[in-house]
Amino acid sequence: MAQLDPFRQFLDDLRNRFELDHVAYAGMNPISGATHGHMTYGADWTSHYLQNKYYEIDPTLLKARHSIAPVDWNRLERGAEFQTIFRAARDFGISDRGLTIPIHGPYGDVGGLSINRDCSEREWHLLISGIIGDLQSAAVYMHDMVIQADPLTRMLNTPSLSTREIEILQWTAAGKSQQDIGDILSISHRTVEVHLRSARQKLNALTTPQAIGRAINLGLIYPR
Amino acid sequence: MILVIDAINKDRFGHVLDEMFKLRARVFGDRLGWQVEVKDGRERDLFDDLNPAYAVGLDDEGNVVSCVRALQTTGPHMLADVFADILDGEPPLRSATLWESTRFCVDTRRLGRGRDRNSVSYATCELMIASLEAAKRAGVSDIVTVIDPVMDRVLKRSGNAPYDYVGKTADMGKVPALAALLDCTEERINRIRAFGGVEGDVFISDEAALALPAIARTVTPKTPLEQYCDEQITSATSEKERVAALRLKAALEDKIRSRMDQRA
Repeated sequence: MAQLDPFRQFLDDLRNRFELDHVAYAGMNPISGATHGHMTYGADWTSHYLQNKYYEIDPTLLKARHSIAPVDWNRLERGAEFQTIFRAARDFGISDRGLTIPIHGPYGDVGGLSINRDCSEREWHLLISGIIGDLQSAAVYMHDMVIQADPLTRMLNTPSLSTREIEILQWTAAGKSQQDIGDILSISHRTVEVHLRSARQKLNALTTPQAIGRAINLGLIYPR
Repeated sequence: MILVIDAINKDRFGHVLDEMFKLRARVFGDRLGWQVEVKDGRERDLFDDLNPAYAVGLDDEGNVVSCVRALQTTGPHMLADVFADILDGEPPLRSATLWESTRFCVDTRRLGRGRDRNSVSYATCELMIASLEAAKRAGVSDIVTVIDPVMDRVLKRSGNAPYDYVGKTADMGKVPALAALLDCTEERINRIRAFGGVEGDVFISDEAALALPAIARTVTPKTPLEQYCDEQITSATSEKERVAALRLKAALEDKIRSRMDQRA
């Protein structure tokens, strides 16, 4: 069996984990000048989409990525652009109940992670309110992974962690709980959590153990 | 009532944003004496060009009475740049679930004392509730907010005391500034609601806002360029023509927008 690329693999995992119909990512790296797209849609819709150059008019991409908050597609004007794409999408069994999470990186790099699911409005709101925080983190993770795949960008962007973030990672590596670390550093345990989230984001790690592994590899902290 | 304005609906609320920039000039430029750039009676900086989300307080007429601005900490934001002194040379926090809030202010000229709906106290609480609720709805768990000591005291006595601070208090021209952390939780929101006597939904929909007298008066018709593009779209006879017309409009989007800005 052919090996799936890691981007597609990540989107497939997201789709299964959150029981979504589809997940798509599109982003732009101003350093390399490249645009990137990955999606769980079938080959038929993907080629129809590309052939018709829908990405030049798609409001779920072009409009939504300027926002800072996730954009429910029902906020997008049901103008001619939207109708053209989603009338065609319906023929491929693709729902217009969806949401785009915009991502803005430090170098003017922008991206959007879109999800959709064919379901009732009630079900949709229940779903979204339960997963939106995780989706935010997943969106930035996916975006950073795509942008960092470019060698030049990777070179320019070594993770810059603060003294406090490194300190907290070091204590975590030593097996201390967030509560303990808060007591040791005389800060609230929520502050510890915020710094850990930030450290994970900067190291592009999904979990704290993964972040600790990377921090050790980079020589930021010492193994216990 | 709080109206949320961002990249999606800002073209409908050019007038409200203009009034907001004027309020910011009065508060940060005149009253507080911050080192901000005021041009033509409006306070704007480069972060306003990055499509932030604004929560804007409106009175029953549709006049702007309060505002605050939110940016993602994953991208360019004030703590990473303008307020870097607060962090004492340390890199800023970066997280998908942390937003930065700046330029919080209320119009003390239009609002009165006391505790009723048209008071400074009520407007302040309503805006704090809205920014926490909007962030929470977006999946954001915490806010880092750049404030001065006066605002810090306001937060503390409104049931909205920061749970911690990052960096140090730094001098920003005449006034010190500090960065406080707020959790976007039901408990915090309820404390502010109880303190301010704020009940029910604090948000107003786009349609309801457009119907308020002070805003309805300012709704402007389409520019000739946009009108032309829309005519091309509706008069297309085939799917191919339609898509071509749509692409034309998308390509001219910036021109259409800049024409609108000039007029505003």
